[in-house]
Amino acid sequence: MILCIEISLSIPDNEARTALATLQRLGVRAERLERADLYRCDVEDARARELPDVLRGFETVFNPNKHELRVREGDAPLTGEVWVDEIGGNARDAGPVRLSGRTLPGVRSLERFIAWRLFAAPDVPAGPDVVTAATETLLCNPAFQKAIR
Amino acid sequence: MNRVGVLIFPGTNSEEETLRACRAVGLDAELVPWNAALDDVREFAAYVLPGGFAYEDRVRAGAIAAHDRLMGVVREGARAGKPVLGICNGAQILLESGLVPELDGATLVQAGFTRNAPLGKYRSTHVHVKLAIAPGRCALTATLPAGTILPAWASHGEGRLAARPDVLARLGDEGHVAFVYCDAAGRATPESVPNGSALGAAALVNARGNVLALMPHPERDAWTFMHHDDARERARGDAAGMLAASGGIALFAGLAAAVARGASA
Repeated sequence: MILCIEISLSIPDNEARTALATLQRLGVRAERLERADLYRCDVEDARARELPDVLRGFETVFNPNKHELRVREGDAPLTGEVWVDEIGGNARDAGPVRLSGRTLPGVRSLERFIAWRLFAAPDVPAGPDVVTAATETLLCNPAFQKAIR
Repeated sequence: MNRVGVLIFPGTNSEEETLRACRAVGLDAELVPWNAALDDVREFAAYVLPGGFAYEDRVRAGAIAAHDRLMGVVREGARAGKPVLGICNGAQILLESGLVPELDGATLVQAGFTRNAPLGKYRSTHVHVKLAIAPGRCALTATLPAGTILPAWASHGEGRLAARPDVLARLGDEGHVAFVYCDAAGRATPESVPNGSALGAAALVNARGNVLALMPHPERDAWTFMHHDDARERARGDAAGMLAASGGIALFAGLAAAVARGASA
């Protein structure tokens, strides 16, 4: 099954704040911006339940003092969201799937993205035009990254 | 007029070495913070963007600084033919701003320096780079002998040139790859490339020839005491010899010559 696990900061995200301020200065009409690391895994059904806890145990990926981890519903970007990934960045060698040098049990494939979530108002996801503008002006360098939205 | 602005963004960290190298070749160089009055910044004859981690490399290395208000002045200057040199993070900023390579004259993001290959990790290592274009193709190299080899320090996690295949082909064909990594003898071998950079590229120049984006640091190998070869050992005990400008200083001499000419390539 496909499992999409999101790890975001539970403390103020300075990177998202800087990105938002830059986007606003460039004329992109976003009110709020959130950022998360996203792990889309194809995992054996029998191992899926334990995978979030496995990731919680990877100290370079998840720090309980400043991160939140949640399993998302669905495996595609939400409204107002863009996923950015380096072209070819998810290619890997044959053998067990690893993250931060450690094996992910039961995981057949793993894709990593940065998920940027834009809001037009505090709780209103931004429309496609705003997401496109933000992606093309700042969030994705098309020379070596790809954006999924 | 030989005033050169060494631009500082929050997170820049190589400005003092860069300033010293500029001054060593006779340039009237000054540090210019990101919040300087823009009209004052316009007065400089050339700009140098040093290395570091501008805006903590948030979003991507160089991405936020590329949109800084200061870069608007750099764009104006570049369009007017002023020499611009970006080193390491400064090079990343120039590519993120679209000032380099400027294929078809378009100031669009056409290439980038991204995570080193194969491990994606930061590397600090001594390198050599060789001038891979006709010297006159770039204002900053016009006074260097053809095939000049410069020593420098590569110190980056994102130094691998990346672009779409058609863009990479044009970068090579149209003379945008100003320097390639090489060994001490000038051989451009795969082993001499510290980061998996496409085309073995260490530096790109824009179409007009006045904006140079160089990943390794020539200012960190600009005096004999900084050398990574036996020249430093030979100068041991000789303070004047140890402090003598050499190696990477040649690129700054090239910048000074370009400023003196007041023109692009």
